[in-house]
Amino acid sequence: MFSRRALCSTRRLNILHRPYSNASKTIASSVYTNSPNTHDPAVSSTPELTPEQHQILDTALRVDQAGEVAANWIYNGQLFVLGRDPKVGPLIQDMWEQEKKHLMVMDKLQVQHRVRPTVLSEVAKVAGFALGAATALMGKEAAMACTEAVETVIGEHYDDQLKEMEALPSTHPSIPLLRDVVKEFRDDELEHLDIAVENHSQRAPAHALLSTIVGGGCKVAIEVCKRI
Amino acid sequence: MSSSARLLKTALSLIPTHGFTRAALAESVLALPASSQHTAPLSDTAVSALFGEGDDARRTLINAWLAEGISQMGNTPRSARQLEQSSPRPSIGDILHQRLRYNEQALQYLPEAFACLATPSSAMSIMLTPLDPVPAVKHAVKIADEACYVSGDESLQLSWYARRAALAGIYTAAELHQLASPQTAHAFLDSLLASSSNLHHSVAEVGLFGGYVMKSWQGIIRSSGVF
Repeated sequence: MFSRRALCSTRRLNILHRPYSNASKTIASSVYTNSPNTHDPAVSSTPELTPEQHQILDTALRVDQAGEVAANWIYNGQLFVLGRDPKVGPLIQDMWEQEKKHLMVMDKLQVQHRVRPTVLSEVAKVAGFALGAATALMGKEAAMACTEAVETVIGEHYDDQLKEMEALPSTHPSIPLLRDVVKEFRDDELEHLDIAVENHSQRAPAHALLSTIVGGGCKVAIEVCKRI
Repeated sequence: MSSSARLLKTALSLIPTHGFTRAALAESVLALPASSQHTAPLSDTAVSALFGEGDDARRTLINAWLAEGISQMGNTPRSARQLEQSSPRPSIGDILHQRLRYNEQALQYLPEAFACLATPSSAMSIMLTPLDPVPAVKHAVKIADEACYVSGDESLQLSWYARRAALAGIYTAAELHQLASPQTAHAFLDSLLASSSNLHHSVAEVGLFGGYVMKSWQGIIRSSGVF
């Protein structure tokens, strides 16, 4: 018991100390988060694309932005219920802080690449909050199982997207940057997945059923947001 | 640039004199630079082959003219007020005024051009929908979107749609006004923009109030000790 607790607390410390470790290693999204240089074409302009290429970029960024909105509200919902829990409360808060950063970067990317946002952002907020709060009410483990299921789907989705983005031309500086940002976010999401598993997501009641439902719901949401 | 695209670009400069006609397209070869100039206008068959049969050629010309209008919005000079505030981009108002000024050169031909766009090309669809509203809506939305982009608008989520819908409505009203009364169109656009920004403030205040109500409810639920 002691060792497990120690493991969790070191994990938490690692997360809390991330900003410092990031400072030594430059991460892709910092170009957007640290008062972006508006004259840099990589963060201020969008490449000339063929209609098919623009379609790829358009759907990719629309889904990502919608996903980050939903993720923010899932953590918001979980924290609303579990905010006072001494153990998982700070963990969820940390993951939420990262999602906030992701959403901020996605918002900037949407404006930069002139992407139409999804019409369903309000639906995503309500659904996200409801999912987060409902699983948190079922218990800490269920909340972590929800995070595990969501982050699995999102991690895979970012990974598929990186393959699709191979079709975009690397000649414009914004495209390699975009790929790096997606890679960074994928790794962040997979780290959330690890945190969820370490915090006993798999001990949740009816874990398999819960993750099937949540994961399936995420996949449907991704397909819907690609279109509208 | 393909030869038809080059001719189309040249034909744009003939619109003020020839209107949106097949003649403007036919005579575009006469206005080319001296090195590649022709002596006779294009034949009717050539115009059809390059730009489309019958009225489709005119639609090609109108769409090219509209696309040029969109790209010229990016060249809007910053007004004195913008320069004073050292803002790097022109304001929405300046951009829409610029777009209205672009209409002025072809104003007399515009009603007919919009009528042409709104008429479906095939006989079958004329029977189904005698007037097609889609081109008019697309025209207004493209202008609204470009105005947002050029002015550096950063609306997100639903306000992205609200902003574009409002600007598309404002621009359409101002353009219709311009067709009827060109002198007063710019003042009319200003008055529309002013009332829209008042409306925007009121909506934002309602949103803020809604936020407070939500927060109080959250507080009430928390303090009730359910969690």
